Amino acid sequence: MANDRLRALEDVEKEIAVILQCAGNVVLELSKEKPNGSLLDRQLSQFTSAVNRVESELSSQIRYLTQVATGQPHEGSTYSARKDCQMALNRAEYARVKLGELGRTCEVLLDPQT
Amino acid sequence: MSTQTRVLPQSKETLLQSYNKRLKDDIRSILDNFTEIIKTAKVEDETQVSRATQGEQDHYEMHVRAANIVRAGESLMKLVSDLKQFLILNDFPSVNEAISLRNQQLRTLQEECDKKLTSLRDEIAIDLYELEEEYYSSSYSQWDSADLSLCEAFHRRDSWASPGSSVGKACGTEDSSGPISQESAPGHLNGHSSNAADHH
Repeated sequence: MANDRLRALEDVEKEIAVILQCAGNVVLELSKEKPNGSLLDRQLSQFTSAVNRVESELSSQIRYLTQVATGQPHEGSTYSARKDCQMALNRAEYARVKLGELGRTCEVLLDPQT
Repeated sequence: MSTQTRVLPQSKETLLQSYNKRLKDDIRSILDNFTEIIKTAKVEDETQVSRATQGEQDHYEMHVRAANIVRAGESLMKLVSDLKQFLILNDFPSVNEAISLRNQQLRTLQEECDKKLTSLRDEIAIDLYELEEEYYSSSYSQWDSADLSLCEAFHRRDSWASPGSSVGKACGTEDSSGPISQESAPGHLNGHSSNAADHH
C-alpha cells in the first residue's frame, strides 16, 4: 500500500537478526579445533555488510523524518467515507431482507394452489 | 521553505537527535564488542597470571561482551519499532496518501452498491407497474378512489401536465398510454419511494 518505508524498516529488523546470527557463527567457528577459513571470511563479510546496511538505512530514515515531521498531530480520517459505505451496505441488506419477505409471501400464496 | 526544519518544536527535534544518538551508540557497541571478542580469542604465549586464571578471565570477558552485543541488538530493534511508530504518526505524505486511497476504495464500493440498488429498483418498478395494471383492472381488486395505484398516479400526473386530457379514468380503459407511462415510471418513483422511506 502506501508504505515502502515501513517495509524497509521491516527489512532492517531482519538485517539486525542477520548481524547477530553472523557474529554468533564467527565466534562458534573460532571456538572449534580447526576453524574453516572460508566460512569465517564469508560470515565476517556478511556481518560487516549487514552492519553498514542497517546504519545507512536507519540514518536515511531519520534524515527523512527530520525533513518531514512537524509538531502537529494529523487530523485526517476516513470516517465519513466509511460511514457512507456502511449506510450503503445497510441499504442493500435492507433491500435484501424485504425482497426475501416478499418472496416468502409469494411462495406462501402460491403453495395452496399447487 | 528552507527554514522548515527549524519549525520543528523542541520535543520533536530532541527526539530525532536522540534516535540518531541511539543508532550511533548501538552500532558502535556492536562493532567494538565484536572486535574485542575476536582479539581476546587470540591465544597468548606469555600471561601475567596462570593460564587457568587468564582463561577464566577471558571466558568471563567474552561472556560480558557477547551480552553487550545482544543488548545493543535489542536496543536497535526497539529503535526500529520507535521509528515505525514515529513514521505512522508523523509522516504526513504517506498518511495522506493512505487516507485518500482508503476513501477512494470506500467511495467506489458505495457507488457500486447504490448503482446496483438503483437498477434493482428500476426493474422492480417496471414489474410492479404491470402487476398493478393487471390487478386493478381485474374483478378481484377492492380499491377505493383515495388509494392511488401506480398507473392511476401516472394518469393524474399526465393530466396535470396537459389539462385538456381526461382525468380519473380507470387504468384498464387506457391501455394505449401504458407503454409511454412505463418509461416515466422511474422518474415518478422518487416520490413513491420517499413515501415508502417515510414509513420507516
